[in-house]
Amino acid sequence: MIWQFLVNGLITGMIYGLVALGFAIVYNTTRIFHIAYAAVYMVAGYFLLYFFRTVGLPLYLGVLLAIAGTIAVGLATEVLVYSPLVRRNSSSNVIMVSSIGAMIIIINVVAMLFGNETKILNPGISGTISFGTLLVTHTQLFQFFSALIIFVLFFLFLKYSQFGIKTRAYRDDPVLSEVMGTNTLRLKRTLFMLSSFFAAVASCLIAYDVGMNPYVGMPILLNAVVALIIGGVGRFEAPVLGGLIIGILQSFVVYFASARWQDAVTFSLLIIFLLLRPQGILGEKTRTV
Amino acid sequence: MDYILHLIILINIYVIITTSTNLMVGLVNMLSLGQAAFYGIGAYLSVLALMVFNWPLIPALLFAMAGTGLISLLIAFPSLRLKGDYFVLATLGFQLIVFTVLYNWISVTRGPFGIPGIPSPQLFGAIQISGLRSYLALSSVLAVLVVFLFYHLIHSPFGRALRGVRDDELSMKALGKNVTALKIQAFAISSSFIAIAGFLYATYVSYIDPTSFNLDESIFILSAVIVGGLGNVRGPVVGALLIILLPEALRFIGLPDSIAANLRQIIYGLALILLMRYRPQGLAGTYAIK
Repeated sequence: MIWQFLVNGLITGMIYGLVALGFAIVYNTTRIFHIAYAAVYMVAGYFLLYFFRTVGLPLYLGVLLAIAGTIAVGLATEVLVYSPLVRRNSSSNVIMVSSIGAMIIIINVVAMLFGNETKILNPGISGTISFGTLLVTHTQLFQFFSALIIFVLFFLFLKYSQFGIKTRAYRDDPVLSEVMGTNTLRLKRTLFMLSSFFAAVASCLIAYDVGMNPYVGMPILLNAVVALIIGGVGRFEAPVLGGLIIGILQSFVVYFASARWQDAVTFSLLIIFLLLRPQGILGEKTRTV
Repeated sequence: MDYILHLIILINIYVIITTSTNLMVGLVNMLSLGQAAFYGIGAYLSVLALMVFNWPLIPALLFAMAGTGLISLLIAFPSLRLKGDYFVLATLGFQLIVFTVLYNWISVTRGPFGIPGIPSPQLFGAIQISGLRSYLALSSVLAVLVVFLFYHLIHSPFGRALRGVRDDELSMKALGKNVTALKIQAFAISSSFIAIAGFLYATYVSYIDPTSFNLDESIFILSAVIVGGLGNVRGPVVGALLIILLPEALRFIGLPDSIAANLRQIIYGLALILLMRYRPQGLAGTYAIK
C-alpha cells in the first residue's frame, strides 16, 4: 500500500518538478519573481479546452496550439510588464507587485470568457496498468514519461548547446555575459518562452487528467516555489529534486494523516528551509541581488 | 440609507486594515502577503473572547489585539532574517499555514462551516452594540483612533527610526539602533492593529469562516495599500475608499454582477501594473516601494 503512495507521489512530483523548473528558468537567471507564472500555467489548460473541445481539433493539435498560445502569453508578460520595469532598475518588490497585477488580470479575463466553474476535458476514466500490486493509470504513465523526456532533453541542452552555455553564463554573471557579446534581451525572452513551455506542458497533462478552473495556477505555483527553495535556488536540477521531494512528502501526508494537512506540511517545510538552509539542499552560494 | 451606513462601516474596517499594513509596507518596507492571516487570527480570537469567555467589548478587543500581536512574533522573529523575495515568501507561507489550520482544525474553529451567531459585544456592562448605527459609531471611533495613532506614530521618534531603517538600514545600524528590534516592534504593532479590524468584522457580520481570510484577501489588502499609497496617513485611507466604493461605482453603471466582479479585479490588476510603472508611491502616498 505504501508503495502505491510512493509511486503516486513520484508522478505528482515529476509534474511539480516540471512546473518548478519552468519557474526556476526565469528566477535563476533574471531574479524576476514571476508570480504571473501561475496564470500562464492556468491559461494553457483553457487554450487546450478551447482548441480541443470548442473548436474540435484532434488532441495532439490542440496541445500544440495550447503550448503556442501559452508561450505567447508568457512572452507578453515579459515584454509588457517586466521589461519596462527592469529597464528603469526597479526593485524586486516593485516587480513582484506588478507580477501580482498581471496574474490578477489574466485570471479574471479567463474567468470572464470561460466562467468561474471547473471544466472537464476528458469525461472518461483512464485505464490502468498493474505492476504486481501497484496500479498506475495510463494518464499517469504518460505524465511520467513526458516529464522524464523533457527533463533529459533540457539538461542535455543546458549542458551542451550554445543556448545552454549562454543561459548558464547569464545566470552566473549577467553583466559579464552581456559584455561578452550575448544578446541578453533576446536570451531573456527565449528563457521566458521556454519557461512558459514547461508550464504549458505540465498544465495540459494535469488539465487532461482532472480538469481546470481559473484559479488552479496559484496552488501549483506555490508548490513549485517551495520545490525551488528546498531544492536550492541557482541550480537547474534543484527544482526537479525539490518537486520530487514535495510530491512524495505530500503523498505520505495523505497516507499517514489526511489530504487536508498537505498544505500545512508543505509550507512548514518552506519556512523551516528558509530559516535553517535558505540556499536549499543542493545549496550553492548565489549572487546577491 | 442603511446601505450607505453599511458601506461606511466596511470602509472603516478597511481603513484600519490598510493603515496597519502601511505601517509594515510603507514605513519599514516589509512587503507582507500574510495580512489576512492576522486579520483572521484577530477575528477568531475575538470570537473566543466573546463566545467562550463571555467577555465584554473592551477586554475582548484587547485580548484579540494582544493575542494577535504575540502570534505575529512567531513569524516575525524568524522571517526578519530574510530579505526581499524570501521575506515575502515567509509571510506567504505563514498565510497558507494559518488558513489551513483555521480550515481544518474543525474541533476548534468549526473549519469550513464557520462560526455563526457571534453575539454583539457589551460596552461598560450597559450598552449593547448591535444594529447599524451602533456599529457605525464603534467602527468610526476605532478607525479614527487608529488613524490618529498612526499619524502620531509617523511623527514620533519611533516612526522616524522606522523610516530610517526603511531608507538606509546600514546607517541606522551604524548609529547604534537595534534594527531587528525596531522591525519586530513594527510587525507586532501592525498585526495587533489589524486584529481590531478582525474584531469589528466578526461582531458586525456575526459570522466568520476561513475563506474571508485566505491568500486572495491578503493580495487584495496589499493591492489596496499600494494603490492608495504608502508612507503617509492619507494613502491607506484613499486605498480603503477606492476598494470599497469601486464595486459600487461599477454596479451604478449597471454591469451585471457576474462580469462586474471580474472587471473589478482586472481594474485592480491594471492599477497595480500602471502604478508600479509610473507612480510607485501610489495615488496619495509619499513613499515609493523599493
